[in-house]
Amino acid sequence: MTISGNYFAGVDVGSLAAKSVILKDGEIFATGLVQSGVNSVESGLNALNLALETAGLKKEDLTYIVGTGYGRVSAPYANKAVTEITCHAKGTNYLHPTVRTIIDMGGQDCKAIRIDPDGAVVDFAMNDKCAAGTGRFLEVMAGVFKVKLEDLGSIALSATDTVPMSSTCTVFAESETISLVARGEKPENILNGIHHSIANRIAGLFSRVGIESDVFFSGGVAKNSGMKTAIEQALKVSIVKPEIDPQLIGALGAAVIARNFAKKEGLWV
Amino acid sequence: MGKQLFRYSEANKEGFLDSDNITFNDGSIVTPEEIWHYLTVEGPVKYPSAFEVNLYQGNRGSRDETLPTSLKTRYLGLTFSARMEKAKDNGKSIAFIQGGQAVDPYTAADTIALRPGLVNQWNNGLEYGNDINKENLRRKKSKEKAFHDMSFEACQTGGYEHVQAGNLRIDVIAPYTVLRCSDVSYGVEAHRHGPNKDVKLLNVDFPLRNQADKPWAIEYFAGNLRRLVHTLDEVTGRKTTEDDLLKAIKLHNEGRRLGTELAELWWSADIPPTNSDDRASLVSLGNLETHGDVQASLSVLKEARKFIAERVKNGVKGHAVTDNPKRLFILGSCVGINGSRSEDAGAIVVGRDDQWSHCSSLVEEEGDPYYNLAKTTLEYPYEQGIEKRAQWTIEQIRKSRADGVIFIHNWGCNTQAAISRPIVDIIKRETGIPTYIHERDLHGLRDEQEQNRVNAFIEML
Repeated sequence: MTISGNYFAGVDVGSLAAKSVILKDGEIFATGLVQSGVNSVESGLNALNLALETAGLKKEDLTYIVGTGYGRVSAPYANKAVTEITCHAKGTNYLHPTVRTIIDMGGQDCKAIRIDPDGAVVDFAMNDKCAAGTGRFLEVMAGVFKVKLEDLGSIALSATDTVPMSSTCTVFAESETISLVARGEKPENILNGIHHSIANRIAGLFSRVGIESDVFFSGGVAKNSGMKTAIEQALKVSIVKPEIDPQLIGALGAAVIARNFAKKEGLWV
Repeated sequence: MGKQLFRYSEANKEGFLDSDNITFNDGSIVTPEEIWHYLTVEGPVKYPSAFEVNLYQGNRGSRDETLPTSLKTRYLGLTFSARMEKAKDNGKSIAFIQGGQAVDPYTAADTIALRPGLVNQWNNGLEYGNDINKENLRRKKSKEKAFHDMSFEACQTGGYEHVQAGNLRIDVIAPYTVLRCSDVSYGVEAHRHGPNKDVKLLNVDFPLRNQADKPWAIEYFAGNLRRLVHTLDEVTGRKTTEDDLLKAIKLHNEGRRLGTELAELWWSADIPPTNSDDRASLVSLGNLETHGDVQASLSVLKEARKFIAERVKNGVKGHAVTDNPKRLFILGSCVGINGSRSEDAGAIVVGRDDQWSHCSSLVEEEGDPYYNLAKTTLEYPYEQGIEKRAQWTIEQIRKSRADGVIFIHNWGCNTQAAISRPIVDIIKRETGIPTYIHERDLHGLRDEQEQNRVNAFIEML
């Protein structure tokens, strides 16, 4: 196979998943998504190799690689490292130029990001050190109800009521949930309450940075339809439908930034 | 395989040897030759963690090899523990203090005043040969033990733990209460119920905020300062006079003036003359308390003033500073960011509000020294209500030409947590400068989460 064109890769190593996107000139050419392990170098390489394999490329074919996510500091394969806040902004702007506000919910953190028309971050806020209000929180709740993580949202959407829940602490919320089940509350109503409590927590982040339309939801939790609905209700906005898997947005942004760096450094004209 | 250690280059030795001696409180001196030997031979063996080349843990410390005073503050830091042990062997009295105050009364009463950070530093230095990882784990263990023993979580529990456990020869615990630290009273309470009850204790009661214009409050606080000096005298067995306090105030005013001059000189430069860590370590000398030795701090500060003036005049850039770095101003008590990693990301720290407030507040030298010191302490801008503190902070931000402001509050530091948002909102409203608030985890292994947020903020700038 003859390789032609310029290829740029972004690798986003998060706490739960490692993602990679390869751009060929200006188009998404291939993607890779794997579960993160304890070795972040290996996780990132696995995601990159999966994308390379899909594209029929070798690592040497890549003009520039940018690493992002918590694993970015351990990414010897990358030319540069950029934080995921900047990457989510660039990735979203690349796909949806009218978006000015991003909610990113990943495995261990949650971000409220405001961007300008060029995809540059103008303000952001993040949850503090607790896992409450993140993907890990939902994972714990899925474990409590013994349901698949990906089914949580649709179960919540089938609720007939919303049970008020605390989102301050994952451990407390878990015991609160068990008490509610023992009290006879319906699981779907409890799960609906959990989604709304997380959404309200996110709304608190936006009280710091403000909201401007259009609004986009990225990260692994963005695949949860119940969470999307709860956030739309809490923020009183309509969320833009993603063109690709929203979990890949950070890696896509990293690939876009890789292309920009390559241009700046004269590696791509 | 051993860790890679940083080594000072022999090429800079000659220039360093031309610099001044450091003079200490007890009249002893240390020569540049002795300092060089310590930093290149003795120090790396005793404290490899301080020299370890490790991008992600710890920080660079001072590696500005052509700035002699930068190496000297490094020396003072590394020898701190040994110097405190020597001071105790020689019968010197040491007080554990907390609360953001000036240490003039302690100097007057011939007592070394150590804040919790320095108490921890003393304890940390008692063990030799650790790499960064071992050192971090050791500190984390100590903090965890303090959390368990005292049943509360706050930033500076380690100091109380070391006193309780008898690790350090502290003679008196004498914090100022209700002055910025919401955890002081808890710490004192924990101490009172701990096994080491024989250590003398005094709470220097500080009137609540916004009382600086009320004579009764100044008189009340001046009375507390007299009690403090009396208590310190009970420990030392000497009699501190008003004249002793006046002399201490004059000495500390000299430090405050020099520290302020140094900071303003630094701010006046188009090109940052030092990196973040060196700026902080040199400016903080102005309070004369950082190294547990007032005279040593003053002698290095005087020399630093001269070197920084030269650098500013010649447009010399500090070590590892990038071209046109984004200028960050850091707010909050007992906090800072990793200077070297933030510089790698294209920024530089140009100032902090904490302790700068009392460095830039001179005490009147005529009249009752207790009253004058009490009045100045009550007037510290950092300790005022939200609006006043914010206005003073805005002034410092403008002077330092900061591009962005980060407010950090430690987990459990309730006062700073509560006021961070309104202060930052006022700064944002009046200057338009981007701001960021960060809550810091206390457990020590937090570096990556925090740096991630700081780097994102720098990228945004």
